Amino acid sequence: MFAFIFRRFGLLIPTFIGITLLTFSLIHMIPGDPIEVMVGERNLDPVMHAQAMHRLGLDKPLYAQYFDYIGQLLNGNLGESIKTREPVLKEFLTLFPATLELALSAMLFAAFFGLLAGVIAAIRRGKATDHSVMGLALTGFSMPIFWWGLILIMVFSNYLHWTPVSGRVDLAFDIPPRTGFMLIDSWLIERADPANFSGAFIDALRHLILPTIVLGTIPLAVIARMTRSSMLEVLKEDYVRTARAKGLSPFKVIFVHTLRNALIPVLTVIGLQIGTLMGGAVLTETIFSWPGIGKWLIDAIGSRDYPVIQSGLLMVATLVIVVNFAVDILYGVVNPRIRHAK
Amino acid sequence: MSLQKQTVVPDADAPVATYPSPVKEFWQAFSQNKGAVAGLVFMLVVVFAAIFAPLVAPYSPIEQYHDHLLTPPAWCEGGSRAFLLGTDEAGRDLLSRLIYGARMSLLIGLSSVVVALIPGVILGLLAAFFPRMIGGSIMRLMDVLMALPSLLLAVAIVAILGPGFINSIIAIAVVGLPAYVRLTRASAMSELNRDYVTASRVCGAGLLRLMFITVLPNCMAPLIVHATMSFSSAILEASALGFLGLGVQPPTPEWGTMLASARDYIERAWWVVSLPGLTILLAVLSINLMGDGLRDALDPKLKRIA
Repeated sequence: MFAFIFRRFGLLIPTFIGITLLTFSLIHMIPGDPIEVMVGERNLDPVMHAQAMHRLGLDKPLYAQYFDYIGQLLNGNLGESIKTREPVLKEFLTLFPATLELALSAMLFAAFFGLLAGVIAAIRRGKATDHSVMGLALTGFSMPIFWWGLILIMVFSNYLHWTPVSGRVDLAFDIPPRTGFMLIDSWLIERADPANFSGAFIDALRHLILPTIVLGTIPLAVIARMTRSSMLEVLKEDYVRTARAKGLSPFKVIFVHTLRNALIPVLTVIGLQIGTLMGGAVLTETIFSWPGIGKWLIDAIGSRDYPVIQSGLLMVATLVIVVNFAVDILYGVVNPRIRHAK
Repeated sequence: MSLQKQTVVPDADAPVATYPSPVKEFWQAFSQNKGAVAGLVFMLVVVFAAIFAPLVAPYSPIEQYHDHLLTPPAWCEGGSRAFLLGTDEAGRDLLSRLIYGARMSLLIGLSSVVVALIPGVILGLLAAFFPRMIGGSIMRLMDVLMALPSLLLAVAIVAILGPGFINSIIAIAVVGLPAYVRLTRASAMSELNRDYVTASRVCGAGLLRLMFITVLPNCMAPLIVHATMSFSSAILEASALGFLGLGVQPPTPEWGTMLASARDYIERAWWVVSLPGLTILLAVLSINLMGDGLRDALDPKLKRIA
């Protein structure tokens, strides 16, 4: 087991170095003069230009710049935002809980309904239920989620007035961040100060519903398709027939004997959806003005805040690598065949 | 054992067994899947409309009719027969913009698939043929590209290169590249140990011949299926870039870009918001349906258990 973890970890290091090379070179791929592009002016005063070049270290040879960059990273220095002058790491850590809350809630939504849909389709295989569930899953898989978000806002917020249009909580509630998770923060403060914050938790929950559905739609479809095919595979096994033959209730056969064994590939798929979620977060957060990492990066791109783009991408990539690594390891734990394969 | 088989001489009088041509065989398997056929029909309509846009579209996509701002579709109250699907905030005919938009979306999708496919196949074959020398470094490079969420990487590339048609294609192609490399490498590696490759090698086939004439044709099935699927995700990514304002720039009609400007009219004009997205959804859905059918027909190994 240890050797397996070690081997996988060994593959991680070159990938991580590659990521740093990529984010490092991004800033050098800007067409034209990087300072002029960043400031947004042409014909800058040469003295100021030289100063800016020096401040950003762009006057050094390329390899020296890269080693400086790595050195800063190892010291936990991810640079500071040109726009706000705040350290990028600090901004990232402030905004990250919002994205994490949204992603977790989308994942829960997708996993619950995806598993349910997949199981139903598998046991009704070939029937109308199966065809309609799988048709819906393919539609969800093909969904342009930014449009899906707009449609949901149009129907549920503008027309039916059931859900709020944007943000994490009503502006009337000025909730100080404690954990960064709005559901927990609003619940805590509502208990501490019921007079001023009555209804804060429900309000936060209502804000979370539409973004969760939008971000969870594609993972839901992927999980449903995977669950169905994995269930069908397992349903063919002898031990399922034995379980049926010895008179177990259909519920027990499906959920205890079949689903548990069908879950392994599904779990991997769930783990690998983290990349989809982070990409989807960019769109979902933009539509719902959700103050998370995705919106932050898009705003940074809009205002050409290169240190934020560079380090933000690095952090997201690191996150994805680490989660995929964890999924790999978990998969090795549950499935010894993977662990011992070369 | 094989000698025995060879001694069986075919009876000259027996009727010659006819095999269906590969095309016919493929079509028989493909048309079994009704969804795939429906997808194909819809895509043929879209492709036809895109190619003959100037003939099919009732108006120019950028002509503004200021007397008809935000006209609802013809079947709604206040709609006009002149504008079947209504007009947008600048008085442009929505149907014409959708038809011309199909050109942009299909072109970006198709080009980015081609731009990713060719280097992807070459790199994948190289990685399979030289696993020790360059295979490792190619695969690590692909791991790097895979580590970034695809849309985020595309957004970053466009942010650096600047928005626009060509840069969208580049960004989407770079994002799609790793999957082609991995797929080609995996299928080429499994072919490399087969006897026919050894035979070809023994006969003195050169490296290029081995790569492209001996091995590659036998790796085509999963590649074709994946190319179809990535065509649909390329359309989705292109429209997402357009929606974020990083794709094709207005007033050029593109489905995603049309949605970006439609956001402000969400309360007043449902058609401006719904129709472009519905078009994207239907196009992507049709291609995915076709992809499922292609997989069933071309690659029985990948066939869904159904």
